[in-house]
Amino acid sequence: MKYLLYCIFFSWGFSLFSQNKEVLYGLDETPQALLLNPGARISNSFHIGIPLISHLHFNGGSSGVSAYDIFQKSSVDINTRIINTISELDDRDFFTTTQQLEILNFGWKNKKEFYFSGGLYQEFDFVFYFPKDLAVLAWEGNANYIGKKFDLGEINTRGDLLMVYHLGATKRWNKKLTIGARAKIYSSLLSFSSTDNSGTFETRISESGNNIYEHLISNINLSLNTSGIASLNDLEGGSATNKILSRAFFSGNIGVGVDLGATYEINEKWTASASFIDLGAIFHTKDVESYAINGEYTLDGIELLFPPIGSGNSAPPYYDDLIDEIEESFSLDSIYNSYSQMRPLKAYASLKYNFGRPVGGDEGCDCLNTGENQKYNQSVGVQFFNMFRPKGPQFAATLFYYRKISDYLTFKTTYTADSYSYNNIGLGLVANIKILNFYIVANNLQWYSNFAKAKSVSLQMGLNIIIDENK
Amino acid sequence: MKKNLYLLFLFTFIAFLFSACVKDTDFNQTDDIALTTVLELDFIFFNINSQNFTDLGINNTIVSDTTDLDFLDSEIVSENIIRADFYFRNTNSFPVSFLAQYQFLNDNNEIKYEVIVPVQAGNNIDPVITEFTEIIENNALVNFTMATKVVVNTIATSSLNNINGNLDLQSKATYYLRIEE
Repeated sequence: MKYLLYCIFFSWGFSLFSQNKEVLYGLDETPQALLLNPGARISNSFHIGIPLISHLHFNGGSSGVSAYDIFQKSSVDINTRIINTISELDDRDFFTTTQQLEILNFGWKNKKEFYFSGGLYQEFDFVFYFPKDLAVLAWEGNANYIGKKFDLGEINTRGDLLMVYHLGATKRWNKKLTIGARAKIYSSLLSFSSTDNSGTFETRISESGNNIYEHLISNINLSLNTSGIASLNDLEGGSATNKILSRAFFSGNIGVGVDLGATYEINEKWTASASFIDLGAIFHTKDVESYAINGEYTLDGIELLFPPIGSGNSAPPYYDDLIDEIEESFSLDSIYNSYSQMRPLKAYASLKYNFGRPVGGDEGCDCLNTGENQKYNQSVGVQFFNMFRPKGPQFAATLFYYRKISDYLTFKTTYTADSYSYNNIGLGLVANIKILNFYIVANNLQWYSNFAKAKSVSLQMGLNIIIDENK
Repeated sequence: MKKNLYLLFLFTFIAFLFSACVKDTDFNQTDDIALTTVLELDFIFFNINSQNFTDLGINNTIVSDTTDLDFLDSEIVSENIIRADFYFRNTNSFPVSFLAQYQFLNDNNEIKYEVIVPVQAGNNIDPVITEFTEIIENNALVNFTMATKVVVNTIATSSLNNINGNLDLQSKATYYLRIEE
């Protein structure tokens, strides 16, 4: 238990939070912006990511607690801090980790001004909602909670390891509108989810009068879906890894999805954009094993009957009968039926105001080459992000300031309010050195002096080769 | 010159990111983490009348029954329990007092712990409730968690032949656990 906690709290010091890439969105100097909005305005004519390092993304955190909250140096006992933290969290709080590693990314513009882009990346996504009632029951027990119904339906978690193959097209439809779409094929390597659970546990003063209490386990309906996991049970570490990797090339469970996006230039000063990412599903048909447990039971202790048996005879097996009765009250089924699972849909929307020195177009360039569509070298705006998780959307709102300092350097800084905090400061830098394009993006910068206080941190970086025929 | 300044800015930012640290924390505190769980669970209950006694003999004054309690010597209980409270509530409408004897035995039928609860005499119109709490801790708890069953002897202080009444037991246990590494 302690090591589980240790791992959870320690790992998010290095990993980061939610799939929101608020800094990278709209940072069109990087080809990876196309993966957040296939309708982004892109000015170059060709790009290729340096394989395996064109996009590294780590992201994780907790909506309600930081490592510092638990592990701070303090005279207060750590168990007191844990109990206090449990009382502050609720079942909508969650822990999450997302990691992406881009293996291949390329793009080119054809003669009809379509910009095609495609590639392959690996993704791990995990979310675990805090089962508050279970935590209270485990940490404190039921003694102080007579009459309380502990909600076992709060168990809610999901994890996916998959490869994503994608090919998209972006087209500036007219002077104002750029649209794009991206088709995706998902190859699931591992997946598990337990998101549709219900049931309660309650200890209450006996209504039957048999004993002092009644312990009621009511309407239990718990399930766990897995795919790609059952066949690994009997394999050694190396063999299991090889088997997982072998699924990367379409031999896993396959899914399909699409990204849609658009950028609309309202006028010279105002630009709006929006996108939907991962509108799709994975169809789990291979190596599927699901478990379901259903039932209910009321326990009021062991009733002794004092049967008139002589010495040398055994008493009835009360305890064994009780255990049998409890086991018979619950059915545990292993199910091998196929199931489908929606990908966590992400949506972005943005509105920005452009200002600063006019660049590009026919109005006389001041030599800041910001691309054929960029009229000013600065902009401010607002972005919204929404991700659909099992227990509802995770919402984030961002204010940003963008500035292209020179041909070599562009930056974007953000201030985001989300489920984790109301003061998340992010910064992204893009450097173009000849054909090399390097970017690095991080958020929650205010906590970099002490990571432990951050509820979440996010980092993206990568290296591309970009050829811009306009240069 | 400007280009160099921009690059310096970029490298400074990268250096800043990679100089991030974790401080003012002590992850060795994981060694101190302990779940202090207090569980309230029903224990045994019964409702007996004079026939339970007389079925074994007209002037019989003792009835016995036994139930296994396999969980008591389980690893999770024996390694983590720090205290156990047993609460007994007897409701007696016999005009006779009783002694309720709870003998916790191991698999070899050796008594590892014993609780004797006196039950006051009552009457049919106004049954008398006798409450009794036994707290088990320290060395006694070590012996207690070696038990795997409990024998309940209910002993009447005089014959119940032709006496109407009931003896009703309700009981619960409070287990104090401290679960750590």
